[in-house]
Parts: sequence; C-alpha cells; structure tokens
Amino acid sequence: MEPIRILTAVPICDGHDSAINTINLELIRHGIEVVYLGYHRSAEDIVRAAVQEDVRAIGISSYNGGHVEFFGEILAELRARNGQHIRLFGGGGATITKADAEQMYESGVDQIFFAGTSLGEMVDYVQRQFGAPIAHGEFEDPRSDRALAAMLTRIENGANPNSAGNRSDARKTKLFGFTGPGGAGKTTLIDELVLRFVRHLPDQRIAILSHDPSVMGLGALLGDRATMIYSQNDRVFIRSMATRGQTGGVSLVTQQSLRFLADTEIFDAILVETVGTGQEALPFEFSEVRLDASFLVMPPDYGGRLQLQKIAMLDAADVIVVNKSDLRGARTAVAEIQARIGPNRRAQRLLRTQANRHGDPGVDQLFQVLFPGQPKSAFEYTPVAHHSF
Amino acid sequence: MTSLGQVVQSVRKYRNFVRSEVKRVRNEPKAAEKILNRWREIRSEVGTTETPTGIKLPTLALPEIDEPGEITRFLLEEGLPGEFPYLSAAYPKQYLASGGSNGSSANSNEKQGEEPTRLFAGLGLPEDTNARLHYLSRNQQSKRLSTAFDGPTLYGVGAGARGVFGKIGEGGVAVDTIDDVERLYDGFALDQPRVSVSMTISGPAPILLAMYIAAAKRRFGPGVLPKLRGTIQADVLKEVQAQNELIFPIEPSMRFLADMVDFCVRAMPRWYPISISGYHIAEAGATPVQQAAYTLSNGFAYVDYFQQRGMSVDVFGPRLSFFLDCGLDVEYVALARVCRKIWALGMRDVFGANERAQKLKLHTQTSGRSLVAADWKNNLTRTAIELVLACMNATNSCHSNAADEPFTTPSEEYARYAAHAQAILLEESGLFRHMMNTLAGSPGMRVVANAVEEGILDEFEVIEEQGGVLGAVERRYQRSQIQAAAHLLESQISSGERSIIGLNRYTDDENRWPNLEMIRTDREKKQLHLDRLHEFHRQHADQSERSLDSLTKVVESDGNVFAELINTVEHCSLGQITNRLTEVVGKFRPMV
Repeated sequence: MEPIRILTAVPICDGHDSAINTINLELIRHGIEVVYLGYHRSAEDIVRAAVQEDVRAIGISSYNGGHVEFFGEILAELRARNGQHIRLFGGGGATITKADAEQMYESGVDQIFFAGTSLGEMVDYVQRQFGAPIAHGEFEDPRSDRALAAMLTRIENGANPNSAGNRSDARKTKLFGFTGPGGAGKTTLIDELVLRFVRHLPDQRIAILSHDPSVMGLGALLGDRATMIYSQNDRVFIRSMATRGQTGGVSLVTQQSLRFLADTEIFDAILVETVGTGQEALPFEFSEVRLDASFLVMPPDYGGRLQLQKIAMLDAADVIVVNKSDLRGARTAVAEIQARIGPNRRAQRLLRTQANRHGDPGVDQLFQVLFPGQPKSAFEYTPVAHHSF
Repeated sequence: MTSLGQVVQSVRKYRNFVRSEVKRVRNEPKAAEKILNRWREIRSEVGTTETPTGIKLPTLALPEIDEPGEITRFLLEEGLPGEFPYLSAAYPKQYLASGGSNGSSANSNEKQGEEPTRLFAGLGLPEDTNARLHYLSRNQQSKRLSTAFDGPTLYGVGAGARGVFGKIGEGGVAVDTIDDVERLYDGFALDQPRVSVSMTISGPAPILLAMYIAAAKRRFGPGVLPKLRGTIQADVLKEVQAQNELIFPIEPSMRFLADMVDFCVRAMPRWYPISISGYHIAEAGATPVQQAAYTLSNGFAYVDYFQQRGMSVDVFGPRLSFFLDCGLDVEYVALARVCRKIWALGMRDVFGANERAQKLKLHTQTSGRSLVAADWKNNLTRTAIELVLACMNATNSCHSNAADEPFTTPSEEYARYAAHAQAILLEESGLFRHMMNTLAGSPGMRVVANAVEEGILDEFEVIEEQGGVLGAVERRYQRSQIQAAAHLLESQISSGERSIIGLNRYTDDENRWPNLEMIRTDREKKQLHLDRLHEFHRQHADQSERSLDSLTKVVESDGNVFAELINTVEHCSLGQITNRLTEVVGKFRPMV
C-alpha cells in the first residue's frame, strides 16, 4: 500500500515549531511520509509545495494568532493553484477557540485540534481521513505542477509511463546529479544555485528531486524544502522523495521520475540530490538516462588521505566541490583531493565553495559550470525596482 | 581550546581553591584567626530591622557557623549578597523594604528601592499597548515598561506584505515605523531615570532600537541618548537555537548586533543592548540545566566576539544582562544562583573583566510552558510558586505570567492578578522584605546547586568538543538537544509520569476548558495600521530609496550600521529596511 503523504508547516511570522516537531515524529512513526516545510511560511509557499509534492493534506500548527485569516488564505491559494483536492487541518493549542473553528470549518477547513488532543488521536485522524489515494482524474493541462506531481506519485507507486518526449541527447533539459556524505551541505549549495538561477535566467524553470532516507514500511521526514529559502518560487519545482528502503543514495524510481520530467521539456535543468551517501556509493549509474554532469560535494573533514582512496564517486564525478571551505582543513582537503583524482586522467573539476556565505564567489563559479555564460558575480548589489512591503 | 573550555577549567580550579582554602584555615591558626575576625566583622555590620509583628531581625541572614573551615567555605562558595561569586545575589539589598538601619538610602543606586515588577505587554496597535502600559504601571513609582511585538514585527516583515494581515497586532504590538514607536511610548518620560523600557525583539532589534532612539530624540531633543534607560533583547544565538525569529544569516546578524552594542556602550551608558536569553530555550522544551548551559555559553560567545571586535570587556561587560525562565522543576531552587557564580568566574578568570562586569544581572519570567489551558485557573498557583523560586534566586526584575496566557493575550484582569502576585510576595508577605537570604542556604538548595553546576559543566564540555558555541550551532547541537528534551517532556506528560493537574490528573471537572472572550485585534484596526504604513511610505517616497542606498553603502563599507540606521528609520519602514538588508547580506537559512 502506498504511504500517506502529507505536508506540515507553521504559518508566516510564527516560529513556534515545538508542537509540530513532536507531531511530525509521531506521524512518521506510524508510517506517514511528512513533507515538512518549516516555520514562518507563507500560504503561497505552503500550497505550491503541497501541489508539487502531491500530498493528500496540509497540517498547520499556528500559535501566534491570525489563524482564521491564514487558513482562509491557504484555502484561497488551493483554489487558485488547482489544489482543492488537498484537505486542510490544523491546531494551535488553546489559541484557536471553538468559535474560530466553526468559522474555519465553514470556509472549508476539515479539522481543528484543540488543546488536550493526544498525539494518538491526531495520528488516527490522519490515517482514517487520508488513507485513500487521491483520484486526480484527467488533467486539462498535463504540464501543470499538479499533473506532473500526480504522475510522479504514480511512478513512485509502480507505474512506468511510456514516454512520448524527445529522447535525443539534444533535448534542452540539462540533468545534474549532486551527491556526497551527510552534512556536506548539499541542500544549501543547491539552494544557493537556485538563487542564482532565479535571478539570472528569468524565463526558465528548474526542478529538483530531493531524497531523504526512509525504511521500508515506515514513514519519512522530508525536510529539505524547509531549509531551501530561495527555492520557494513558482519557477522551481521540487519533489521530495523517500528512499523507502532503497540503499545507494536514491530511490528505486528516481531514474523513471527523472526521465519523465526530462521528457516533458518543461525544465531547463533538473537537479537530483541524493541522501547522504557512503564511500562505495555510485548513485547515478542510471541505464535509461544520462546526466549532463555529476557533482560530488565533500566537507573538509572526511577523515584523512586514506579515506579518499575508498570514495568511488571521486572517480565517477565530473565536478568535485569542497564545501564549507571556511572550516579548518579546507586547503588540505583540496590538495589531497587534487592528488587523489590526478591519476584519473580525465577532465574532472575541483572547486571550493562556502555555501553558507551570501554571494560566495565559489558558488558563483559553480553556477558558471552548470549554466555557462552567466555573469561572473551574481551579487553586485543592484537596486530592485519593486519591493513588496 | 575555546574560551568555553577555559571557563570549565576556571570553575574546576575555583572548586579546588575553595577546598584548599578550607583546609588551610583549619591547619593554620593564623589564617583561622583572620577568618574568624572577618566573620565577626561581617556579623557586626549587618543591620537590624523590626517586623510589623514586633520581632527584631537582621537584614541579612547568616549561617550559624563558627568553625573557620565552614566560614571560609560559605564566603568563597556563596559569598555575601553583592560579593563574589555572587551566588546569593548580585546586589546587597535587593528586595528589602528599606535599606536597613545602617543601609544606604534607596535612591543611591538605581538598582535599589525599585520594584522588580516588569510586566510584558503588547497588543493591537501602538496606542492600545500604550494604554495597557499606562494601566500596568499606574501604581508603580518606577515605570518599567516591557514590550511584546507581533509576529510581522518580530520577523521584520512589513504589515503590507502578502499574507500577514491577519497577524497585525496579534500576540504583540504592531510596529512598522518611527511614528508607531512614538505612539507606543507616548506620555512616558523616557528621559527620566525612573522610566525604563524593555523591548523583546531580536532579529530586527537594531532597526527597532534605532526607531526608539530617533523617536526619543524627536520628543526630548538630541541630548536624550545618555538618559535613555532600558534593554533590548537582540539575542541572535538563542534565535538560531530555539526561537526561530532571525532574519539575516548568523554572521551579518552578529555584526549588526556588535555595531549596536558598540554604539550603545559609547553613547547610551544606561542602556542594556543585549539580553542573553534562556527563556525561549526553556520554553522550546529544554531542561533547566540545558537552559542554563546554553544561555551562559551564548553569553561567553558574545563576550568573545565583542572582544575580537576590539571592545573592552570592562566597558561592555556591565551592559550585558540575562533573561531566564523559572518553572516548577526542582533545579529552579538554585539555577540562577549557579548561573551567577559561573558567569562571575568566567568573566573574572577567563576574560579578565572587572567587578561590575562580573555581576550577572537577571530578569526572570515565570514559565509560560508550565501553564495549561485545562482547568486554567490553576495557573495562578503555578505562577505563584514560580515567583517564590525566582525571588529565592534573587532575580533583579521579574515578569509573572497571567493565568489566561495559554489561550490569549492576557486580559486586563489576569494581567492585574499577575502583577499583584509579585506585590503580595514582596510587599505583603514577609518572605523577602525584611531580610536578605531568608530562604537561602538550605541543605537541599546546596545539593541542587552542586548538581546543576556539574550538569552545566558537562554541557559546556560537549559544546567545547564541537569547537565552541558557533561550531555546535552549525551542527545544530543545541537545537536537537532542546527538541529531544521537548519530546521527552511530552511523552512524560502523555504517559502520566509527569503530573499536570487538570490535564492528566484530577480531570474530573467537566468545565475545565476555558470559555472566555479572547483579546483580538479587529479588522478595522488592522486596516488602520496598514493605512498609516502606506501613508508613511507615501510621505517619504522621495527620500526612502536614497536612505536605503546610504545604508547599503555603510553595510558594504564595514561602517557602523547601527549609527546609520538611526538616520534610515526617519524615512524608511521596518519592512523596507529588512528587504534591502536581505538583498545585501542574504536571508537566514532556517534550521529544522
């Protein structure tokens, strides 16, 4: 049976994430896949994510007021983004009154949990109400986020669609794979690349397949989206995938999903981010699609020169990125990796980045590798004509 | 080793020093005589007071000991109130009704003769909060105003941004412009020493304080700066670890903070430009020891950072203050006392700070997390117990929560009870008004203090292993520890291992859920606030872009951003400023 997927978040201008963290853990323990979008999230970002992730429901934990308006706004966004099939529930301890809840039910909210509701009751509710898959029906626009999301769900659950797209190597969509050990900063790096993409390639779209580990039959916390601050944009399509017991860095259906998205030719680039991988992993040995480039992201503290010998991706990757280059040992790492890949005698590039620094020149350089011909520095400040305030 | 590792060493070293001193006075008759003389002197200098019931008491309770070793242990481990290592209290006469028969007059020190009550308030529009502040302080000689801001303000998001309309003025006051700040503190003599203002905001703190200064200058003239008294939270690190209200990445956030602190210590000698806060760490679910350890280590990290910026610890050190939570767990019997001691040792021995900088100045708030909506009037009792604990720890100021807080911005009625609870404890009851140390020094308090101290040092060592506070933050160590503690707490409550009366014990009352009017901000008010903001933007349309460009130049040139912000706020709203700054320095990447 396919796992229930839901999305949880805390509203804009609200940082109270203690309750939702506990609830997420409980849901995961009961086999539910939770896409967690984090705190201080706008209705727009929440609904965009919910549609792209093809979740069955959105759960909102609100603690500092304005919930009637905020839930209303989510419902309005769901209507505007063809997401009325997604259910909406939530809670806010004792800050949401019975009268508020009545008003929210009338506008289309399914359920409000009041103070004193046990975690068990919430899990029961989610399992009971959202147990059945979404019946999407036919799509007016097969290129819409919703249609793409629905197809990715079908692929995830075993369908293998016939591709009608252009399979030639000349297709416009570039495919990039990012892998590396946990804690290397892959997600931050990708988000920084997306920031540059959004700023400098104004008419293009980008997709990201982001993986988180999960055990077969158990749920998963899919939390990468929460930290991707610059990727909350209509030109960015993100799909979070649980590995569902598959080892090696990606899911069993990553290849099909990638091929499907590539064949639509909607996106100018698709990035695959693996889970944190081990030394032996070669996650991009796909038989049906070929990546345009693969990237190995390494932290400086990999444990010494000997360990490098065992990292298979150091031979396979087209680009090796030493991230967190502000940390001690970064220069040694670059020197050791250079020595390690030298004998490979192929065109591998080695870059240094500090993705957690705004406007990092190393990330600018990496952006150039992915999207040649863009301005050298993305961050000379240029006044923006319009601010939203 | 980072400075945190050195703090651990200094505490351990001090313990050995106490042990060897105790041994020394026991073995050396000369040393023994000296300490006995000093003890006699101390006792003779203690003033006396008479209670309304007619008994005579000393103004400071001292242990009945006459053995030189024990006396030495007491004086070195706890110290007299106001004396190193400040375990008993940072100041000698904190809550005493009068200075005592040979004490100094109440007016000689701004810390004395002042009610510790400082009640947090914020609701609706600035004029609504202004009215509440006037109401709360109407009977106080000293006006200690404490301001809570709404969500959009805390995140530096303009009230006109998409999706925030519903949050305007909810849970705190809405502030977008310098004009709002003027309305907020209207009618208070901000230039008078009896008025102090506390602003609970961290992410956009420099912008808000700049607005406050600019507004005060408008009313009281440019000479008002050295007279302004108060504090602003501005605690970047605890936002990353627990409260999640940060706007800019850590590095620029720390720089903006340091710019503000640097400006304040030079130009505003009565202002506390940072309040190093454990409250939100505890509210997010941390254990008391975690609260103390993370707060203190954050404090030392700031000291390190400010010193690296070239500021003198003797100058900024006395302007640091702390903010701790006080809940119902047994650790709170001595938690803040131990914090004072560790701070004093670290500041003296690791950072070479002077005496004023060694004193940990403390604001306490009773625990919001301990309050529940079920059978909610029990919260009056919970808060009362926490207040006793806070005063046993000799807090310098205190906020007591209103009983209706689990479900609403406090109503006037329950805010009044909360304020009165402090008055009952300090003015009506005899617990603290006659004598310092009335409840100090019990065997239990000592045992708890030792256990807490050891727990804090353990945590320090784990943080040190990760390269100090910033290294641990990067690994999200504090966050995951706090989250784990929160889960444990929740599971203890749901299993019944922890009793919460009215929630999982004695739940027989059918009507235990509140059915009360909520304090809400109505749509018309929200709209009025928005209209004002649009009007401000319209009025300043000519100058705002130019002001933002000058600000950008200062940011890019490594100048003092805070000094420039005082100009920027004349023409730009909070949202305009944060938008521009995030363009230049980036956004904070949230940790989950």
